[in-house]
Amino acid sequence: MKKVNTYQPLRLTVTVRLLAVCLFLCAGMLVTAQDNTLTVVANEKGAPAEIKMSELKSVLMGEKQRWSNGKKVVIALMKTSTPLGTIVSKKIYDMSGDEVKGFWLKISFAGKGDVPKFCNTPEELLAYVSENEGAIGILDKMTDTHDVKVVSVDGKKSF
Amino acid sequence: MLTGRKTRYFLLLFFTGYFFSTSSFGQSTQIRGFIDGLASYEKGKASFGFGEQDLFITAELHDRISFLGESVFKYTPSSPTEFSVSIERVVIKYNIAGNHNLLIGKHHTPLNYWNDNYHHGRVFFPTIERPLLFAANIIPLHTTGISFQGHDLGKLKFGYDFMIGNGLGSPEIADNDKNKSITAAIHIKPVEHLRFGVSYYHDVISKGADVHDNVVNWKVNQNLFTGSISYFGKKFEVLTEGTLALNKTDTTGSRRTLASYIYAGYRVSKKITPYVRFDNLNYQEGEIYFHKDDMTSFVGGIRYNINFLAVVKLEFQHQHTEFEGNIDRVTTQFAIGF
Repeated sequence: MKKVNTYQPLRLTVTVRLLAVCLFLCAGMLVTAQDNTLTVVANEKGAPAEIKMSELKSVLMGEKQRWSNGKKVVIALMKTSTPLGTIVSKKIYDMSGDEVKGFWLKISFAGKGDVPKFCNTPEELLAYVSENEGAIGILDKMTDTHDVKVVSVDGKKSF
Repeated sequence: MLTGRKTRYFLLLFFTGYFFSTSSFGQSTQIRGFIDGLASYEKGKASFGFGEQDLFITAELHDRISFLGESVFKYTPSSPTEFSVSIERVVIKYNIAGNHNLLIGKHHTPLNYWNDNYHHGRVFFPTIERPLLFAANIIPLHTTGISFQGHDLGKLKFGYDFMIGNGLGSPEIADNDKNKSITAAIHIKPVEHLRFGVSYYHDVISKGADVHDNVVNWKVNQNLFTGSISYFGKKFEVLTEGTLALNKTDTTGSRRTLASYIYAGYRVSKKITPYVRFDNLNYQEGEIYFHKDDMTSFVGGIRYNINFLAVVKLEFQHQHTEFEGNIDRVTTQFAIGF
């Protein structure tokens, strides 16, 4: 008598469901990446409470040495090898992480500006911004931002 | 072998960097190096070599004060060891207010785009070597003195440099005569990636001065006028500069030299950029300060950026000079930062 393999339909069903779950997760990750919003944080002394996007980009490109209150502009960024650093490189600089590092190295050794502080974790960035007058940095909007102020960009707390 | 003066400068640079890196201010200090390896083929002969080893120190030692030092270890045939150390830049910068700075020390003379933006490390050069107007010493690469600098002012992102220096023929520690060199440069960046610049340089070079290892036998009144346009966009790269040099001596009167180049590149991908450069040097008859040798050069090459600290370039150069005729050369360079 021919033996019927009753496991085959079941295995196919499980495979299809697993594929569906994987596709769902991938789609979710893509949506998350596209929806990544950023928040500008700053030391209580230095950056204004509100800033325009064009001015923010100018500051983060090293084109401004001092805030209007005289405090030195100090830039803190996540390392470009981190996911957040990659997003900031793209959204602010319109560059890859590697290009951002090259950009700052070129500026620094031409004597045109100071290299930003590159941080490993959001906590490190927050601590650096809170401890240094004039410091400004960029984080995810979900990060706890006590001890620093959130700077509105074009009237929004995140962008 | 290092001369006593060079040794003192090098030690000063080293200990300055050491002081900045260990003092109690807690400022950030960066030390970086750059070097490049070369292979070339010319007149039926292949050669290997390496370029200058460039050592950089930058430090912030105060809210308003920063330091930049650049020293180069390079091949020097006249040295018993065939190598020497030269101090290319020692700049102490004081931020006066906003984007206005006071700089003291030995600078890259803020003439032209190239000289003001690139250092001796080759990793950022768009081509393997500098344009010919630098090799021909048309402009003074370095000046020791004091300068005022401003940048990114207003909507046009206006920038300026005004410098008073010891001038050509002066040693590093004092002026060789009473004449001071004057440099004035302005630029604007009206749109992203685009920069227009013009500059002026004036110096009086004394008779007997040693300039670029050559003794000047006449007093030379020199005026340089330069202009530059640069655009380094996401895809296209264009850089062109021109210098009009007027050298006046009592015996020859005023003699005109025109030096220019244009570079263009197109990024076919993030890493690969084919490029071309055309150089032209033209001296008026009777020029006696510059080494008169009319020259044209065409460079075609390709640049491969492995990452921001490693770049490979391959170039073909056809050069025609008044005295040597045609020279064809193929060169490849591996430039790194570390």
